[in-house]
Parts: sequence; C-alpha cells; structure tokens
Amino acid sequence: MLFTTDKQTQDDLNIYGKQGTDSIFSLFNRTSTVNGSKLLEELFRHPLSEAETINARSEKISYLKTVKAVFPFGAELFDQAEQYMANTDERTKLTAEKPSFEKMLTALVASNADYKQIVSGIGALIEIVQLLNSYLNDVLLLAGSPFKKDEEIADIHKLLYTEPVNLLLKENAKSKLPHEKLVAYDLTLRFRHRDTVQQILRCIYRLDVYITVAKVAAERNYVFPKAVPKNYHLVKIDAFYHPQLKNAVANSIHITADSNVIFLTGANMAGKSTFMKSFGIAMYLAHMGFPVAATAMEFSVLDGIYTTINLPDNLGIGASHFYAEVLRIKKIAKELSAGHNIFVIFDELFRGTNVKDAYEATIAITTAFAKKRGSKFVISTHIIEAGDVLKQHSNISFKYLPTKMDGTTPIYTYTLQSGITDDRHGMIIINNEGILDMLKKGKGGDNK
Amino acid sequence: MSFIADKQTLEDMNMLGKYNHHSIFNLFNKVKTTGGEKLLQQMFQTPLTDAELINKRSRTFAYFQSTQITFPCSNEQFGAMENYLSGSIGKFFPGVIIYHASKKLQAAVLRDEEYPKLQNGLQQTIAVLRQCKAFISQFEEKARQKHPFYDELQMVKTILSDPKLEWLNKAQSGQSSLLNTARYDYLLRHTMQQALQTVMDTFYMLDVYLAVANLAREKQWNFATALPNGTNLFTATELRHPNINKAVANPVSFNSDSNLIFLTGANMAGKSTFMKAFGINVYLAHMGFPVAANNMEFSVKQGIYTSINVPDNLDMGLSHFYAEVLRVKKVAEEVSSGKNLVIIFDELFKGTNVKDAYDATLAVTAAFSEYRNCLFIISTHIIEAGEVLKHQSNIQSLYLPTIMNGSVPTYTYQLETGISADRHGMMIIENEGILELLEAQIN
Repeated sequence: MLFTTDKQTQDDLNIYGKQGTDSIFSLFNRTSTVNGSKLLEELFRHPLSEAETINARSEKISYLKTVKAVFPFGAELFDQAEQYMANTDERTKLTAEKPSFEKMLTALVASNADYKQIVSGIGALIEIVQLLNSYLNDVLLLAGSPFKKDEEIADIHKLLYTEPVNLLLKENAKSKLPHEKLVAYDLTLRFRHRDTVQQILRCIYRLDVYITVAKVAAERNYVFPKAVPKNYHLVKIDAFYHPQLKNAVANSIHITADSNVIFLTGANMAGKSTFMKSFGIAMYLAHMGFPVAATAMEFSVLDGIYTTINLPDNLGIGASHFYAEVLRIKKIAKELSAGHNIFVIFDELFRGTNVKDAYEATIAITTAFAKKRGSKFVISTHIIEAGDVLKQHSNISFKYLPTKMDGTTPIYTYTLQSGITDDRHGMIIINNEGILDMLKKGKGGDNK
Repeated sequence: MSFIADKQTLEDMNMLGKYNHHSIFNLFNKVKTTGGEKLLQQMFQTPLTDAELINKRSRTFAYFQSTQITFPCSNEQFGAMENYLSGSIGKFFPGVIIYHASKKLQAAVLRDEEYPKLQNGLQQTIAVLRQCKAFISQFEEKARQKHPFYDELQMVKTILSDPKLEWLNKAQSGQSSLLNTARYDYLLRHTMQQALQTVMDTFYMLDVYLAVANLAREKQWNFATALPNGTNLFTATELRHPNINKAVANPVSFNSDSNLIFLTGANMAGKSTFMKAFGINVYLAHMGFPVAANNMEFSVKQGIYTSINVPDNLDMGLSHFYAEVLRVKKVAEEVSSGKNLVIIFDELFKGTNVKDAYDATLAVTAAFSEYRNCLFIISTHIIEAGEVLKHQSNIQSLYLPTIMNGSVPTYTYQLETGISADRHGMMIIENEGILELLEAQIN
C-alpha cells in the first residue's frame, strides 16, 4: 500500500516550497547529476509505508555516511552519455564502410557534430562502467555493507561481467578507439542493449541521491530513524528541531497507543506552529528512509500524513474558513474510517468560528479522534477550556509551550512542557505596539 | 491629495487587475478603445477627494446614461490613427515632399511597404476625423441644451472646424496625388498634431463615459451624491455587491453620532460579502462612478482601509495574530493623525485565544469609535464583546441572521438590528456526517 499525503500537507511542511525559495527538498537537492535530482524529487513524492523497505534504504544511506562516500563520477560524463543515448535516430548509426574521400574532406572543413557526440558518448559510457566497477568492488560490496543484500546492485554487478558490458571494462578509456570498434559499440549500446545501459545509469542516479543525502546527514549531524512494525504504535523522537531554522530549540516526544493524542496549547508566537511543523517534517522524512534533524528516532510505520497548518479559506467559491476546516476534517475522517493509521496535525482547530461552537466542536472532534488508537494526532488550539473536559481521556497528553514575562516583554523558551497553559499576552502585544495610546493621543490632540 | 487605499485594501475588495476575471475593474472594463482602457485604469487607481469633481464626473455619467448614444468608431480605427499620429515627420514641408517621393519610389521599385502603410494610416485617420465630426453634429442636434460634456465637445468641434482641415470634407477616398498626400500628412502630423491628440483624448474619455453609463443602465446602478468634507454622513438604501448576481440589498446609514457598525452573524451568513460590498461602493463613489445602491449620499473621505483577508507571514515568523496587530496599528496611526477614513475590520483578532480576543476587541473598538470623523464596520465572532459595546450610543449593532430549515441552515443576507447568537458550527459538522464517519469504524 502507498503512503498517502496531499498537497496541503506538503505546502504546510514546506516540502517543495515555492519556486526559488528554500524548502525541505532543496535542503537535500545537491545531487551531482540532473537525473539524480529528478529521482530525489520522485522519492519525496512517494514516501514508503513498509518498515522493511524504509530500514533497507536508511541502512544504505547510513552506510554511505559512515564510509564518507564521495560520488566517484564526474557529472559531465552523464551529460555526454545522456545526450548520446537520447539520439535514437537509426540514421545516425555509425556505418562500417570506410568514409568516402568526399566525406572526409567535409569533416575537415565543417566538423560533424553528430559524429563527435557519438564518440564522446561511447567514451563516457566506457569510463562510467569502469568507475562503477571499481566503486562496487572498493566500497559498496565490502564485507558488512548493506548493499550486498541489494538486488539492484547484485543485478548490476552481474551485468558488468557479462556481454556486452564486460567488453567495456577491458577498454583503455584514455586511448582513441578504432573505427570498427566504435561502430560495434554504437550498435550495442545505443540500440541493441539500450535497456541494459539505461538500467546501469538509473542505478548510478540512485547512488548519487543516496550519497548526497548521506553527505547532508553528515554535515548537519542528522540521525537515521529506525522503523518498527505497524502494530508497535510508537513514535519516539529525541531532541528534534526544525531543519530550516538557525538556533532551533530541540524537543523530545514519546507517543504510544496510550497517548496517541497531543493536545497543544500556548500563547501566540510561543512556537506551536513551528513545533508541529518540525514534528511533521521529521515524520515525513522518516517515512522516506531519510535522516532527520534529531538525536534519535524510532517510529512505527503509518499509512499517511495529513497536516492542516495554513489552511486557505476559499472565499472565491463562497466557503468560509470554518467550512474549509470542516471539509478538511471530513477528508481525514474518511481516511480514518477506512481503517488507515495516519499521522494528523491540526493547528488552531476551529479558529474561524465563534467561541462556543469552537469549544463544542473541538471537544467532539478530539474525543472522536482519540478513539483511533492506531493513528497519531497533534492538535493545537486557543480554546484552552476544551482541555479541561478532555482531561478525562487518559490517552490524550497535554503539552504546552510557555511564555515568560520579562517586565512587559514576553520571552519564549520554545521548550515543551506538560500541562495546559492559560498564558495570554495578546493584550500585552497590543499595548507594546502602542495602539491604544496612539488612538487616545490622537483624540486628545483633536480636543485641544 | 489623492484618495488613500493600500494594496491590502485593494486586494480585499478585489478592485484592480485587468487579468483578474472577478475584479471590479474588469466588471467595468467594457470600453472599446485601448486609450479608453488606459484612462479607465487611471481612474481606478486615483479616486477623487473633491466633492465637486466627483459630482461633476457622476453628472456626466448620469447624462450619458439618459441618452442613447453609441461610440462612433472601432478600436482598430482608433489604433490605426494613434499609430499614424505617433510617427513623427520633418519640420519643413519641402523635406516632407522629398520623403514622400522617395518612399513612393521605393514602394514601386522595391515593393517597400512603408508608403502603402503611410497611405493607409492617413486614410484611416481621415475617416475617423470625419466620423468624429459627424458624431458631434448629430450629438448637437439631439442635445439642444447645455450638457456636462459640452465644453469638451466644443473644443473638439473648434479643432475640427479649423479652415486648415476644410479639405477633409472634400478629399475623396482612395488614392490622392503625391503632392496632396504629402500636404495632408504634413498638416496632420506636424501642424495639427497637438490638436489632434486633444481630439483623441476627448474621444477616449467619451468611450469611458459611454461604456460605464451603458453598464450602469444595464445593471440598474445609480449615482451617489458627494457631500463636502467636514460632515460625516453616509446613507444608502439597497446597497449590494456589484459583482454578485441577485445580490441581496441592505440599507446602510452612518453619521457622526452613529459612526460604527458592530457586525455579528454565523459563519457563511454573509458578513464578509456585506463588508466588501460597502467598501467597493464607497470606493466607486469616490471615483464618481455608478454604485450598486440607491439614494446614496456620502461625505467625501480621504481614504479607506480594510482588513478582511490578512495573510499571516509565517516566513517572517509572524503569527496570524501579530499580523493582525500590525494591521490595526497601521490603521490606528492613520486614524490618529486626523484623517477622515472609512475602516473595515473583518473577524478582528481571530488568531488568538478567547479572552485576549474579547479584551482586545473591546478596547480597540471603543478607542476607534471615538473618532467621529471616521466610519467603521467591525465584525467579530466574539459576540460577548457586543453586549458591552451596545451601551455606547454611537455604535450600531447589526447582524446577519441564519434561519434553520430543519437541520439545514439558510441565510437571508438581510441586516437586522441586534447581536446574533446564531451558531450552527456543530450543525454543519453534523451535516457533513463527520462524527458518524469516525464512530462507524469502531462499532
């Protein structure tokens, strides 16, 4: 089964971000090859939903991190190889006949671009295959490497020692190939064994992605989460933080089936949204088998992730903010009732309605969610009164982000505490901005 | 001084934007000429702040609304004329003749296209000028008494009656001699260039007047009367949103002793739409344009500020609440500097906890309402604040009701006096069957 998520979630967590802005994707998007970058995007689009595949991937990346792997190929080799492979026009195939005198003369005067491309493409492929072979032997297939268990790598390894690829290994990459050999290779590589060549290239792009991710993990000191089977119903993250913030404050969280709802309170600007985003990002990356910004993480695999942090009201179609929220909850309820175990984040539940409605609705929805023990929920709200009623459910854990007052200036610790807070500093913020004074003064001036 | 309306305000009301299909500008953009569109854009960007100018413009619109006149030329013709007139030509007539001769020769020998183009431009321009002239004399026959556009048309008439242009009536269409072509070209593009620009500008204006007047007739819009600055009055009956079909109309009235509307109502009851409708009509009225309201009278204001869809700027680390606070601060600065403004706040302080929202709404509303020279509409979900505020005599409490038809809420969109305690949030949740969905799996 596929891991499900949606655009709202990806926007909330800033997975892809807007064009040209920093995003979680761009954090990792430092591959050497263009196709590696495309593959990385593909991985972000489809997180995994099985513990085995997740762990298999993270073990490999983790191994590359340990051996301090460096991408052994020059990126320009792949430009040459891809350009060459992209030309599937049979008419450009090299022919065995000796070039006529006339053709040679033309070649002297105006160099033949097609021919040059073919020669450099074949040369690039030879170099790629040879480098791959030594990289397999020197790094990937050493004792203790998780790549030994990898089927794709095993296939590639076998390919390297069978016709026609094994012929490439014997060539001297530096010297110029005679015309007859070029003709033969052109036919095999570009036409007859086209699929084989592409399989090899694909494998290298995947390596490119893994090596890049390993490098990011090493630089940023990220940790590889351990996926445990679904029925463990467990999420345990130590000291996780938002990967895009400088000097981000770390928090730890421990969720089991007996504490599957986190009810989050805190004043404005205390960092509720940031906490939820960091949590969401960690879960998202963990399900990709990627490293996360934390010191340790263990999680039971879920079927999907849905967040609602910046819900746009669609006033264009006449839906109020409240109704947009209701529809969003309905979507999540459908997922839950289909028996999926999902991770749900809801920031400022029902902020678009009156107090009494928000109070009742928050209690009703949170209570109903809480019964889905296999799913995990983080719900933040301003309706702290709802918390008092929800206390009767033992599986709801109450957390808050505190505000400390330094005179009239609020100071935020961004460190999670247990309990419900009734911090409210909205009026202090308004007073600090001097709005009421300004209005009073303006009036006083008028009277004079 | 120009009328103040910042980006947030214009976006809230969806005023501008040629490429935005639902913008108010697009609603009015029925002009025929490109020059007319530019002029219309300019009018939208700079509403007026002088009662006399506003009334003069709206009188002109009203006059054209009462007549049945159609614009005499097409955009292609005008475009060709503008294109032709924008090309410059030598200052000395002999030079022009030589230029013409050489171009004609080039056209004959090298099939150069410039000369035929020039001739075509000249012909089109002559045709437009004739049409304009004919239009003016027709117009004069129809409208015997003096009308608001009289002066402008007289000016054009004087230009077109210039003896230098007498040949216009005689010049036969089709080919004319080289010397004649050169002479006409020199006259139109050199001697009379400025005068002809005035003719075009006047007709662009006429284009705007006719397009807007026709739209007003078609949509049954009326014209507002601007009252001089200094009083603080606003009245209108049947005020409605101009861009919504079959919009429900509401009466609105303000004066300095009743300068704030405190608006409540359930979700989807139409609070935002009402506030936008009010803001848009105020804006249009300051442009001297027709408004979607009847019997509207208003004291001219210096600007309008709205806060309907304040975006939170989380990238900059601003919470929704703080974004709202900064917006309120900006408005407070403007108001306390003594400007006469129209202020609209939708769902004030929705991004914070209940107690803060209550305190803040109360304090801010009370402080703003002391500015009797400004008009305010403030909507909120914190109905409890209304109970305290209703004791202030200058605050009108209005609400948009919800009527329950079984378990389906229906909305009248009709303002009523008082504070609404309607809340159907739970009803909406139940209608969507969410709780059943969640229960179903467990049983």
